[in-house]
Amino acid sequence: MKPNTLLRKSALSNFLSKPVKIVVLAVILISVLFPLYWLVINSFKMEQDYFAQPPVMFPHPGTLKNFVDIFQKYQLARGFRNSFLIAGLTTVCTVFFGSLASYSLINGFLPRKIKGFLSSWFLIQKMYPAVVIAVPVFFVISRLKLMDNILALVVMNTSFNLPLVILLMNGYYQEAPYEVEEQSMLDGCDLWQRYFHITTPMTKAGLVAVGMLTFVASWNEFLYAVILTISKAKPLTVIIAGFITDKGLAWGPMAAMSCVVILPVLILMWTMQRDFISGMSAGALKG
Amino acid sequence: MISRHVRETKKDRALSWVFLLPVVVILAVAAFIPLGYGLVLSFYKYKLNIPGMKPEFIGFGNYITMFKDELFIHSLTNNIVFALLSVGSEVLVGVIVAMMLSDDTKLSRLMTTIFMVPMIIAPVAAGTLWRMMLDRTFGVVNFLISLLNMAPVAWLANEKVAIYTIIFVDFWQFMPYVAILVLSSVKSIPESFLDAARVDGASSLKLFYKVVLPFITPVIIIVAMLRFIDAFKVFDTVFVMTQGGPGSATEMLPTYIYKQGIKFFQVGYSSATAIVFIIAMSVIAFAFNKLRSYQLRRLG
Repeated sequence: MKPNTLLRKSALSNFLSKPVKIVVLAVILISVLFPLYWLVINSFKMEQDYFAQPPVMFPHPGTLKNFVDIFQKYQLARGFRNSFLIAGLTTVCTVFFGSLASYSLINGFLPRKIKGFLSSWFLIQKMYPAVVIAVPVFFVISRLKLMDNILALVVMNTSFNLPLVILLMNGYYQEAPYEVEEQSMLDGCDLWQRYFHITTPMTKAGLVAVGMLTFVASWNEFLYAVILTISKAKPLTVIIAGFITDKGLAWGPMAAMSCVVILPVLILMWTMQRDFISGMSAGALKG
Repeated sequence: MISRHVRETKKDRALSWVFLLPVVVILAVAAFIPLGYGLVLSFYKYKLNIPGMKPEFIGFGNYITMFKDELFIHSLTNNIVFALLSVGSEVLVGVIVAMMLSDDTKLSRLMTTIFMVPMIIAPVAAGTLWRMMLDRTFGVVNFLISLLNMAPVAWLANEKVAIYTIIFVDFWQFMPYVAILVLSSVKSIPESFLDAARVDGASSLKLFYKVVLPFITPVIIIVAMLRFIDAFKVFDTVFVMTQGGPGSATEMLPTYIYKQGIKFFQVGYSSATAIVFIIAMSVIAFAFNKLRSYQLRRLG
């Protein structure tokens, strides 16, 4: 989407007077950035600094103790590995299975009714709250002895992200030129070869966008992670929530662990901002 | 949906079904079977905290209990208040911010990038972050307002305040989401529209009401409805900030269902609330889809 050049000069953005605008933007900027600043400096504070009055605005001297602590005492490495495996495997499964299904819906040979039915099913499924099946899933998973197992979370996260991925990929497959498909059909490629070698490579931008949305969503996922893990499969989000106890907060480790959970997502967003926005707006407006 | 095929072979037709298979299996295993199981459980009296208790069929008993259960009604009202106020404020401010960022200067683009941060960080992290800032005694927010000679507020421990705090954190996370989606719609307004209005000598405010607002209204409606549905899924921030408390002041439907089922082991009852919840959400989602496809057609 190209921003139209005239907007730059236009009075469009000046429907508030300039001073008001500057004040509003400054307030918003501060309220976005200050909490993040606070989180970061909190992770470098010493124990007594958390209870200082007035609050310590800049830790001096700072300490790395919290990061050492979460590494040694709170299983940072294992949590990170779990989060990474859950998000990574979910992304691979979702993108692969989702693109296959979407390809079949768009370019495959299915009865029209089936296509329509499946598309509306996915739309509805995308919106229903995950919590409604929490209890039965909890039972099924514990009966299957899959409790505290990463695989259970991968399956659940895959099912949550599939509907959106399919809907988005539908759009990308529809935009891919069909003439190439037809040509390769005449050359004797079957449906799988056309999916794998011809059409899907043309939707690379789409795959990246949906992959990223899925990765971030499952990296951040909490509800099922907290229900289905006990100890060894805990991802970072569950470890963070564990710092909140009846006796109070473990301020330092909590801040440090939150920094660790945020950082990879920030890096991902920074490097692929464009794909992220396009994927997000397509998800809202096309699906 | 347009079907675009030329000539089909038997093999391709078979493969079309095979391609759908993994998705159908996963969704059946992870969504449909649990849902069916939940439906069955909802007709039983089944409490796991009583050892050796056999599930007992009680028909609609759980459903009847539910509508007499004050805590359930309270969670529902809380959730509706939360949804209306958070989505309302996010849309109102989001549109204004989108307009301010629409000039496409370097500053605006930088702001847009910074804006993305709250919405992509884990809600759990956002919740703990604000929980630290809003701590009654040691939080920085109460310190800052004390500089303005205001008394400290128990943001999360006061029954009257807590839900607005949760609404604020949701606003902090998702107002930018609304702003960015609306912004991309503002940027797609055809120049001819704006030119025509400018030739007529319309003021900026008039330009906004007469040209911009009508153009972006379908997007605003879609985004508002998406956020509204998401507001009924709120769990992570409530869980880490208040756990539904103080008392039941911030209890929402997802936290209520979670507590009943996973914490208190009221399996049958919790399933019944979940079923009512999903029926209500399906009705909303269905109405929403109708409205959305209508709005999308208007968008072209």
